[in-house]
Amino acid sequence: MDAADVAVVEVTGLPADTVAALARGDQTPEAWATLFPVFAIPLATSPSAPAATERKAALPTPMLGAWRVQEGRVRFSPQFPLARGVSYRAEFRTGPGGPLVAQYQLPADTTPPSTVVAEIFPSAEMLPENLLKFYVQFSAPMAEGAGLDHVRLLDAAGQEIKLPFLKIADELWDAGMTRLTLFIDPGRIKRGVRPLVEVGPVFEEGKSYALVIDAAWRDAAGRPLLKSFRKEFRAGPADRTALEPTGWKLSAPAAGTRAPLSVEFGEPLDQALALRLLTVTTPAGEAIDGEAVLGTQERRWGFVPAKPWPKGPLQIVVPTIIEDLSGNNIGKTFDVDMFAGVPKTFSTASVRLPFEVK
Amino acid sequence: MKTPARPLVLAALAFGLLSTGVRAALTDGMTEGKPAFKSMSQITFGPDGVLFVADAKSAAIFAIATEDTKAAPDGATIKIEGLNQKIAALLGTEAAQIKINDLAVNPISRQAYLTVSRGTGPDAVPVLLRVKADSKLEAVSLEKVKYSRAELPDPPVDGLVGNGRQQQNRRLQSITDLAYNDGRVIIAGLANEEFSSTLRSIPFPFKTAVAGTTVEIFHTSHNRFETQAPVLTFVAYSVAKEQKLLAAYLCTPLVEFALNDLKPGAKIQGKTIAEFGNGNLPLDMIVYQKEGKDYLLLTNSARGVMKVAAEQVAGAPALTERVPNIGGLAFTKVDWTGVDQMDRLDGRSALVVRRPGADASVLNNLETLALP
Repeated sequence: MDAADVAVVEVTGLPADTVAALARGDQTPEAWATLFPVFAIPLATSPSAPAATERKAALPTPMLGAWRVQEGRVRFSPQFPLARGVSYRAEFRTGPGGPLVAQYQLPADTTPPSTVVAEIFPSAEMLPENLLKFYVQFSAPMAEGAGLDHVRLLDAAGQEIKLPFLKIADELWDAGMTRLTLFIDPGRIKRGVRPLVEVGPVFEEGKSYALVIDAAWRDAAGRPLLKSFRKEFRAGPADRTALEPTGWKLSAPAAGTRAPLSVEFGEPLDQALALRLLTVTTPAGEAIDGEAVLGTQERRWGFVPAKPWPKGPLQIVVPTIIEDLSGNNIGKTFDVDMFAGVPKTFSTASVRLPFEVK
Repeated sequence: MKTPARPLVLAALAFGLLSTGVRAALTDGMTEGKPAFKSMSQITFGPDGVLFVADAKSAAIFAIATEDTKAAPDGATIKIEGLNQKIAALLGTEAAQIKINDLAVNPISRQAYLTVSRGTGPDAVPVLLRVKADSKLEAVSLEKVKYSRAELPDPPVDGLVGNGRQQQNRRLQSITDLAYNDGRVIIAGLANEEFSSTLRSIPFPFKTAVAGTTVEIFHTSHNRFETQAPVLTFVAYSVAKEQKLLAAYLCTPLVEFALNDLKPGAKIQGKTIAEFGNGNLPLDMIVYQKEGKDYLLLTNSARGVMKVAAEQVAGAPALTERVPNIGGLAFTKVDWTGVDQMDRLDGRSALVVRRPGADASVLNNLETLALP
């Protein structure tokens, strides 16, 4: 067999009449898989490999692939690339001398670990006790499936807080699998709701915590992280106030420059939503192209236009689904108290903040 | 995953429809070729062997004409021990690199379909597998099939233009459940950025001009607070001739609302009719009939399998007062452990993917269990 990306299994040196018969024949994939099967056998050293007896039971399932006869050779091309941690066994079951057998495995991965946790958002050291989520940003793509086994939330005494995160069947990665979203279990966000009576809230004002990510977490190449990561923070008062963009402070840039437009939110906003949702447009709604950045622990948004600012009125468009760190939106808090009366909800999908470039 | 409750109740009528040209209409407008999947997660069967496959990475739903329409009788017993190992062997890798995303049984042929990811990184390959009545596992070729595709309605709000757009839109919708009911596909999901409960509805056959519907559902949980927690699993169910959705949320209220309320831009107030306990995640739900009565079967992460007599649903009062941990509809516990995926196999049995032992997280089985 060759390298992983072009893996094929070939039988050479067969008698010409055997090759001719195979080339002539119209074998079904089932017939080929009986004549020339290739098996994937997990290596016993892998922690996830089944016991020896189960490995034997798994043996009769040959790998998917395609067979062809070409230039005197019989070739099997697997449908999927070969994987590490697996031994491949090919059998060519013809001829009087019993089956021809070949065994192969990819060389061990000797590349040292290099992936790290680059950042965790929110980046502030003081977070509301009703915090809704963290974003964990890695330096390279990660493997899916075992994330919550490697994330621990510790209290000030170093004791692990049990089951703080929402666990659903699919982990919430971005498409490139470099960012994982960890929602705090909404049933454990401090409020008068029932689960808190039994299991307690995840965070309480005034207490200190650490979010710890261990280095055993595997990246997409199957390597562990270069090092563990620890974010320490304190829980502050709960935030149960809907967002009020009219209170944000805008610093309008001068016309003809590419100086940044900056907005002070007065509180940290959700990093991903603030970067994705805020836009600058003309009063007619035509978008101004440019780059947005967040600073001061997600309290400040800056926007640098691709071309110098035009003179005249512009606006920042703020969709109402934007969130603060506690999941409060514009016009609506995260939890609406039914007995206190439901506040008026915004019927518009966004709020406009006009400013003048002079 | 579940098949719609309606054909169960109206089986005789469904056969009548099949013989009068529904088959042609459903595949009308489908393309023949190879659908370009980036991922395959939740699946469910519509009528006439049409399989709906959610592709969360493409933010799209595919309808595939499986042409697997040869009716099979009740009574098959499917069993595969070490399902994930067998799948790994077939796909040339180890079990740790296999993720079984969903299970659906074709209600006509009784053959089981599984969506699987091979690999765990961003380059994981989606694979559709089929298990025949004799428990033989095979790959379903998608090289040349009839299919159609619908984009998820209400794509991510994204006002950025130019380079900023590519750099900063990293939103992805995870799809938690999918069902077909009476000419529409209903999709529940959760985004990796904003926390909201949206339910999407797309008319089928898919038409390019018809946008789907997105609604927000509010419900009262834990006495007095409205939240927008995500719907994790749901079934369509007919109550007093009105089509309802019964949706199970995190931690674990069961909420009822009318399917007819799924109108564009609607904000729906659901009715919480049961609380099945906290610290728990509902995984899957099916409806079945036994001795002339309808039942709901709900699998959970922490609280096992629950059986609910569906006759309680009609006229069930809304839970508006604080309930102890559990309240509302009565249920009985079913002695099935480790069930991750479930569908109705036939009139007598369910097919499940389950972990046989407490410490055997690396091993699972496909098993046929008699409906309780």
